[in-house]
Amino acid sequence: MGIRRYAMLGAIALASVSLPAFSASAEDVTVTVWSLDRDIQPAPNLINDFNKLNSGIKVEYRQIQFDDVVSEAMRAYSTGQAPDIIAVDNPEHALFSSRGAFLDLTDMISKSSVVKPDNYFPGPLASVTWDGKYYGIPKATNTIALFYNKDMFKAKGLDPSKPPQTWDELVAAARKLTDPAANVYGLAFSAKANEEGTFQFLPWAQMAGGGYDSINSEGAVKALDIWKTIIGEKLASPDSLTRGQWDSTGTFNSGNAAMAISGPWELDRMIKEAKFDWGVALLPVPEIGAERSSAMGDFNWAIFASTEHPQEAFKVLEYFVSQDDRMFKDFGQLPARSDIAIPPTGEPLKDAALKVFLEQLKYAKPRGPHPEWPKISKAIQDAIQAALTGQMSSKEALDQAAEKIKAVLG
Amino acid sequence: MKRFLSSVTDGSGFDIGLVLLPLAFLFVMSGLPLLYNVVMSLQEVDMFSLGSFWRPFVGLKNYVDLFSQPETRPILLNTALFVSASIAGQFVIGFGLALFFWMNFPGASWLRGLFLVSWVMPGLVVGAIWNWILSGDFGVLNFFLREVGATDGNIFWRSDPNYSLWAVIIANIWLGTSFNMILLSVGLSGIPKDLFEAAELDGANAFQRFWTITLPMMRSTIGAIVALGLIFTLQQFDLFAAITSGGPNNASNVTQYWAWDLSFRQYDFAKGATISVIMIVFVMLASVVYVRSTRHEVRG
Repeated sequence: MGIRRYAMLGAIALASVSLPAFSASAEDVTVTVWSLDRDIQPAPNLINDFNKLNSGIKVEYRQIQFDDVVSEAMRAYSTGQAPDIIAVDNPEHALFSSRGAFLDLTDMISKSSVVKPDNYFPGPLASVTWDGKYYGIPKATNTIALFYNKDMFKAKGLDPSKPPQTWDELVAAARKLTDPAANVYGLAFSAKANEEGTFQFLPWAQMAGGGYDSINSEGAVKALDIWKTIIGEKLASPDSLTRGQWDSTGTFNSGNAAMAISGPWELDRMIKEAKFDWGVALLPVPEIGAERSSAMGDFNWAIFASTEHPQEAFKVLEYFVSQDDRMFKDFGQLPARSDIAIPPTGEPLKDAALKVFLEQLKYAKPRGPHPEWPKISKAIQDAIQAALTGQMSSKEALDQAAEKIKAVLG
Repeated sequence: MKRFLSSVTDGSGFDIGLVLLPLAFLFVMSGLPLLYNVVMSLQEVDMFSLGSFWRPFVGLKNYVDLFSQPETRPILLNTALFVSASIAGQFVIGFGLALFFWMNFPGASWLRGLFLVSWVMPGLVVGAIWNWILSGDFGVLNFFLREVGATDGNIFWRSDPNYSLWAVIIANIWLGTSFNMILLSVGLSGIPKDLFEAAELDGANAFQRFWTITLPMMRSTIGAIVALGLIFTLQQFDLFAAITSGGPNNASNVTQYWAWDLSFRQYDFAKGATISVIMIVFVMLASVVYVRSTRHEVRG
């Protein structure tokens, strides 16, 4: 990574020497932006477009690695070197807002003609909110749903137009679809001991009336029991405990799992790799008519409180927001807004899947928001894994997690 | 003053300067961070007070909290098992290979060089490769074990709490063996050949020669290798990150990974520092062994 970073710096330095168009004129205000977006993703492209407008604000971009976002940001902030704008993962937003590291944007948003809170899905909006104030703007959003292999459904006598609706139906379908002789598991998901495990489990707990602050409620215990059944009967690979979502869904694409729980970030790869007919369904609920819920992922924009150019930084964010309708078309990401209609892509499988994901997004809930989210998340991960490996019953494991979370919540 | 200056340019002042300079360097580069770490373990630190030195002092609270956590004991035991099993495996296989190449058959040194490939590879790459090898459903190791008839079902190396720590140990033994082999080869080549010739003339068999000449002559090398092994295995982090992430449910968690997880994933820097202090104690013990065992070499 080190070498790549220097190579990139070198390239940027060269480009700024050879292309005088990029260099700022003396009166330009410079705004720095950090995010994890690569060259085919929104941030660097939007910034290029913005710089071409010659608005008197020059934006400089730096790419940071996913794992480094928070540690880089806090190191920079605590030493007074923070950028003006940063993109952070939504469960970590509260960590910064609660400590006053992010700028309160409430007033600027209320005066803005571009950024309107009403346009956003409630989940992403809640993740930038702390204490009733807005400390950021959702950048994009995503959620999880159930992918299923229609060809396998047909082969095992299941109706491919009727994917499982409830937890019981999901388990029943997984039992039918699991075929150890052919190396096929019924379901693929991730129960990994990192944020991904929490991301996948919380919706189940929430659908049954639980949540991070009531993780040992009856419904959450039942949810974990269902997971235990799935792993215990080997309806999903035991390696689900150490495999992330991307790798788990890979087994679905290669025909080694009949169903998979994952997000829209899989769509492009699936269209390329999966040589079968597949569909997407909403996450199954405890029973018909139960409350729906889902996980909410992706990043938010925020302005650091230490910025010297809050107005200019906000103008840059307004420009990003004004380009939200390009998010899916140009970059394959879902804007966090309910007022933007996503145009068809011409790829029928993708379009059908998108419809389900947009429906599912309505039920997506943020993780937290809580400044100590990583500790809460860790307690949940440990409980999931203790139960799934048979070291504790679901109830015992979640009771222990609830105790740890109670200590964090105070 | 003049006397002082002349002693610096010519005399004991120069010698003292030569000693003080590296000492000062050592103090600044390792002593201060070490002290800082100890201080941090006695404070309450979160990500926003990370940049300042004046933070609430909490005494031994971090230590007490740490030892009252249910996962602490298993993690300490895991660390002990990981370190001892890794060192034993690396040493035994490394010694075996070193003795094998010592026979000096054609191409021996060339082959020995090839073994170093594993040592040159970055830990994360090694981790990623072993991650595939140890994978439960499609892993090569399971395929191999099934083919030779050692198991009938798949072993979920990374996800079964009974195996996950061993999965990392296996990968770590593979990673460290070549380093052990090279150091031991050097030690072996340092033993004078005439000792063996004399012993052979006196009728000592191969085992007796190994037991009475090779091993005693290698004492300092072995001491150094075990001490270095302790330090390297206590440092081993990449393999945990790449293969098991310490899971499932901390079954393969060790102190070094835990310290990272607490500091950089849960942002509890004080606890991370506390664990590091505990680890420093162990590394210091290892350094004592290392220094004592290499002392013989100077006398040559």
